[in-house]
Amino acid sequence: MAPKIIEVPKTDAGAYNPNRPAGTLLQSQALHMREALIKHVHELTTLLSIDTKSLKTEADVSAYVHKATALLHTHGGKPAKK
Amino acid sequence: MSVGLDNLKHIVVLMMENRSFDHMLGALMQKNRKINGLTGNESNPDTNGAIVKVQPNAQFQSQLDPDPDHHFPGVDLQLFGGAPQGAGRVANMQGFVKDYFSQTKDVNRSHNIMYYFTPDKLPVLTTLATEFAVFNGWFSSIPGPTICNRAFAHYGTSFGQVGMDIFYILDNTIASIYERMIQAGHTAKIYYYDQPSSTMEIVNLLKNQPQIFATFDQFIGDCSGNTLPDYSFIEPCYNDHPGADGGQVLASDQHPDHNVREGERFIGSVYNAIRTNPTLWQNTALLVVYDEHGGIYDHVVPPACTPDGYTASADATGTGAPFAFDRLGIRVPAVLVSPWIPRGTVVTGPEDPVNGQVFEHASIPGTVTNFFLNGDAKRTVREQQAKSFLGLLTDQMRPDDDCVVFNNLE
Repeated sequence: MAPKIIEVPKTDAGAYNPNRPAGTLLQSQALHMREALIKHVHELTTLLSIDTKSLKTEADVSAYVHKATALLHTHGGKPAKK
Repeated sequence: MSVGLDNLKHIVVLMMENRSFDHMLGALMQKNRKINGLTGNESNPDTNGAIVKVQPNAQFQSQLDPDPDHHFPGVDLQLFGGAPQGAGRVANMQGFVKDYFSQTKDVNRSHNIMYYFTPDKLPVLTTLATEFAVFNGWFSSIPGPTICNRAFAHYGTSFGQVGMDIFYILDNTIASIYERMIQAGHTAKIYYYDQPSSTMEIVNLLKNQPQIFATFDQFIGDCSGNTLPDYSFIEPCYNDHPGADGGQVLASDQHPDHNVREGERFIGSVYNAIRTNPTLWQNTALLVVYDEHGGIYDHVVPPACTPDGYTASADATGTGAPFAFDRLGIRVPAVLVSPWIPRGTVVTGPEDPVNGQVFEHASIPGTVTNFFLNGDAKRTVREQQAKSFLGLLTDQMRPDDDCVVFNNLE
């Protein structure tokens, strides 16, 4: 016997309204994104202020590359798959 | 341990937005008296003193605009009906209409807060609730808004926050459930809908742990490809926006004034993605739950709870009194889906003083930590004492033809 099938109605055609005023939840989301970006820029600025000629040892370079890779990786266009 | 629990490999949580239990599922009591819903006689006074009864008139959209108040002072009014702060006051759930009047400035429109859906309007949620397990006593963690409540689902605490502030900047002593899982060698992922919708509140993780994020399309692919992580948390679409192909992408979170039917379709899509993979279906438990009530009427007085060690100041609550995180927020819909759950399971809540169980969002990281990590993680007492929801899985798996499938979701 086949499983019971439940038909789900389509959403009303007029439901879409991208001009709806953003509520407090969405405003909070934007604010939180901004705070994260500020921290991100701060880390980027700190990293850019380092003169790469000052990196003398493999450990120095490795630490720099580690931080740079972590920052660049987060700039990927799409989130990574598992 | 039951056979169902022995077989369990994946826990999936879908957290929707801002609807109360009675608003979405209260009418089911007419079909099953064990479901603690509405008799039809529940009421609130309006600002003119008239008695406003609950009515089965809820619509998918345009009825709860402006957005009902669900910030801490507003919920305090909803709970206590306007009784002044003090040790002796008792919650009576009599302030919903009065509070919505503060938004609408229209007495008639303020009555909309008492409207509820009939089951025929919500074929997905009500089917899952009646075909699997529905919780009579799942409460939001805080009588307040989204951000602090969702924090409990991710961290088991809001770190003392009762509002929409960025909680993780102040305190990072408790790791998120995703970080706990990954540090222990398990897999965990947050699936947000798409980049224009993104994730809510946990952008700290987005920045520092991008590998734990993926999109909803990838959730569908992970379900069909048998690559679903041990633990998945799904976020609906939070806004209306143009799609990558130029089409229309609708908010599916059901936050007022977003279309409730679109959220129904989204819940159905999540269910079908698991249901239609026979391997995944038998080893996955899906919890559908709402973050908070969104200011909409529910008749059950929230119970006390174990404090989580924080106190919100009187300034932070906005009520003139501090809050010790010692009582829960308003009740929300919660449904647990698995073929190992008998049809029509009703998990009784505070209405059953002998066997009733109380759940809240700290139950989510609590359950995941207990199941996958044997409880081995630094976490609040509140989370440690939160009820686990996996005890509903039995020794008997229902046959394939005994479990519904949703259609017309493309």
